[in-house]
Amino acid sequence: MVNMDAYQVLTAVHIALIYAVLAVPLTLSYKTTKIINFVHINFITYGAYVAVLLYVFLGIDNVFVAIVAAFVVGGIMGVMDNVAVFEPLSRRGANVVILMIASMGLWIFYKYLMYSVLDVLSRFAKANLVSVLLRFETLPRVVVGGIPITSAFLTAVVTAAALALMLYFVLERTAVGKAIRAIADNPTLAEISGIPRGRVVNVMWFMAGGMAAVGGVLWAIFAIATPEVGDTLILQVFAIAVIGGLTSLSRTALGAFIIAFAENLGMAFLNQVFGVPTSFKPFITFSTLLIVIIAFPPLGAGGGLPYRFLRKRR
Amino acid sequence: MLPSFDILGFLVSWGTFLGIYAILAISLNLEVGLTGMANFGKVAFYGIGAYLAASLSVYTVLAVYHVAAAPYTTEGIIALGKYGGANPALDLGIFAASLVLGFIIAGCVGYLLTYPTLRVGPAFLGITLLAFGELLRIFLLNYQPLGASKGLSGIPHPFLWIPDPVLRERLYVLVVLGFLAITLWFAERITNSPFGRVLKAVRDDEVAALCMGKHVPRVKATVLFIGSGMAGIAGVLLAFYMSSVNPNMFVPAVTFNIWAMVILGGMGNNKGAVVGAAIITFVDRILTFITPNLGITIITPDYIRWMIVGILIVLVLMFMPGGLVPEKPIKTPAWEAVEDLEKEPARGGDEA
Amino acid sequence: MTKPILEVKDLARYFGGVKALDGVTLEVPERGVIGLIGPNGSGKTTLFNVVTGFYVPTRGEVWYAGERIDGLNPNEVFLKGLVRTFQIPRLFPSLTVLENVLLTPPRQVGEKILVAPFRSRWEKQEKELARKAVALLKKFGLGDYVRAKVSELSAAHMKMIETIRGLITDAKVYLLDEPAAGVAYTTARELFTFIRRLRDEEGLTFFIIEHRLEVLMDFVDYVYVLHNGKLLSEGKPDEVMNDPKVIEAYIGR
Repeated sequence: MVNMDAYQVLTAVHIALIYAVLAVPLTLSYKTTKIINFVHINFITYGAYVAVLLYVFLGIDNVFVAIVAAFVVGGIMGVMDNVAVFEPLSRRGANVVILMIASMGLWIFYKYLMYSVLDVLSRFAKANLVSVLLRFETLPRVVVGGIPITSAFLTAVVTAAALALMLYFVLERTAVGKAIRAIADNPTLAEISGIPRGRVVNVMWFMAGGMAAVGGVLWAIFAIATPEVGDTLILQVFAIAVIGGLTSLSRTALGAFIIAFAENLGMAFLNQVFGVPTSFKPFITFSTLLIVIIAFPPLGAGGGLPYRFLRKRR
Repeated sequence: MLPSFDILGFLVSWGTFLGIYAILAISLNLEVGLTGMANFGKVAFYGIGAYLAASLSVYTVLAVYHVAAAPYTTEGIIALGKYGGANPALDLGIFAASLVLGFIIAGCVGYLLTYPTLRVGPAFLGITLLAFGELLRIFLLNYQPLGASKGLSGIPHPFLWIPDPVLRERLYVLVVLGFLAITLWFAERITNSPFGRVLKAVRDDEVAALCMGKHVPRVKATVLFIGSGMAGIAGVLLAFYMSSVNPNMFVPAVTFNIWAMVILGGMGNNKGAVVGAAIITFVDRILTFITPNLGITIITPDYIRWMIVGILIVLVLMFMPGGLVPEKPIKTPAWEAVEDLEKEPARGGDEA
Repeated sequence: MTKPILEVKDLARYFGGVKALDGVTLEVPERGVIGLIGPNGSGKTTLFNVVTGFYVPTRGEVWYAGERIDGLNPNEVFLKGLVRTFQIPRLFPSLTVLENVLLTPPRQVGEKILVAPFRSRWEKQEKELARKAVALLKKFGLGDYVRAKVSELSAAHMKMIETIRGLITDAKVYLLDEPAAGVAYTTARELFTFIRRLRDEEGLTFFIIEHRLEVLMDFVDYVYVLHNGKLLSEGKPDEVMNDPKVIEAYIGR
């Protein structure tokens, strides 16, 4: 039916891994705070650019250094936003829609801050910083059964596994992690049990921001780094989180694979059978997002009616 | 030496953009400020109106003058330039038809899109509309009959038959501001009415409004019809002003620009939306006029402007959540009745 | 007893494996003040939610004034004549007290989008409703609060307004969800006296969920007791209070 060789399958898996690393933190942050955070877009972009700037200005081409640095930068961004904007607004009684709009303002600010900084830095670097192909060889390229496996792919596998382990460990085995889950499941009860909400939520934001930033690095070494990297990926990432019901981290990871394969298989199908040009790929993604939201509406999420309003109900 | 500055030209240019954007801001205010629906896909309906106007006008002119070429080809554009200003009745007729159709079609799309998304919360509604907008844009980028990535140009200005371009622009700004006045009048009228009361109730507590007998999904769909229709009209006005449209004019950034206007001006206040639009379009136009005279700058002024927009949104929400012009209570004749009753002397049987 | 105005027949509502309601049959007679009690989680609120249209019953029927109403949406249930209040009063904070009352009447022409922009079309109805609303508020001693914002009201006043705004419609049956929650004992008794007065003067019917039995029992004609989604007991207040099954259910929890 559809011709997909081993290489295309590998690429789909690679993309799925990156999507998972990007989407799981979004589910985590939404689940814990009920905020749809636009700054997630910037976590991704800033993460990618940590890798770019480390390479261009410091000559660092060790991908794992870049990953750790990106995690720290993303984490700090996440915590800062919470402390400076989300917490004060919540204390004043802002609802989730207002917080979402505030995050939108932050997103615009961060995005054009990045553009401005790159504008200035480009003059010093004398290099094009707006479209960068990073190819690190920290992990060696291997050939398995005649199929070349890129360094980026191996890096993605190793990183995704490490992050999954980290999340599992923190959420299941540490007090802070259990507190995060308590707040996510039942915030009022958590409050009453005396959990120090402020600190716990900050730890969550550090992890969410950090993970998303790492996803940005993985994308940069696989595809390309541009200041629009976060923006181009966010709707896919959001669709995946919605498939995960915005509550289940494991379902989100599964959703990443579903979307990655649907996109690539779907595109291959449309291309081979109907001759649709590959530039239509985002079209498939957005249609999928629309279909997913309409078919599996997260009931009551985002402040909606907590039940289904239907015309004929008997 | 001071650079020359055409003040009247600036005012006309600013006035036109102000009018178009204020209509968009009012439409968003009705949706989010009054009814609590966070619409992140406003630009989609703006684009529908603009493309409707563009395609209707260019295809009609070419058809009327029996030109075989398609409007997006070079021969087509030359033909449009030749015949565009020939017949005043045709130009004005196309303009009027575009406005009516723009409102209806954009409105219908808004209405239809809402029903499936109603079971999903207000925040998701916004993102669904955003995704729809992007879908539309990508479709237009690839759809040749509407010009694909180059879009459609040579759109005949409704006043193209007037030889003086300056007079043309001045007449047009009056038309645009006229539409703004109508839109503002309409918005104020429905806000200060029982309908407006229902909207605020839905914004406060959808479930309670439902329990009080209000058909909440239908109310929301109606508001989205009107808001989208208004955005469609703004799009029509834009297309004729710019005389060309292309998909990259309708990116999500435009929607967020409009959001900034509504937040700055004050959510829930229609006049505030106009104030917000005025300020942001003013800054935008000033930068456009001044930048060529500034010489080399280190950072593109556009970037600085957007950073300010972003921070402004956050600061306004944090420190001045009502915006510059806070929300006013609903004014209906009910209060006149109340005042009459208060003036009546107390009758017997009035319990304390 | 008079003819029942609200009836529930073998009503059940399951949520996956959880049987929140498992076959309840009861009737509320016209002009009755009827209590619905039971330990936490016995299904009282679920019953209200099904009757008012938030849930479609898994099994069973709901009848109001001789008409079947299960499966209707909450707004349609309201328009038939059932008013529901909440434990924490849900008034609209953006609107004044008068506007909160003005929101309630159905079939206001000014609420239609095509009529709203033309003031002259709905002015008359609006003024008349305003007069009725003010008269209503004055009748129950709330005349001073016409212009007040919801945030300025005490809990007791909010509860009263939530209930009396139904009086501007033809609603006959009021489902009150824990009206005595969160108020002092004397205020609670005042609220219940007020409820009985509404029944006596206006001919309304009340079906009341309540936990504070010491307040409820003095004011109701009849009581239904739910436990684990089923009807455990029913009868006059003293009968129910002395029923060993009921005592055990409450203490056992």
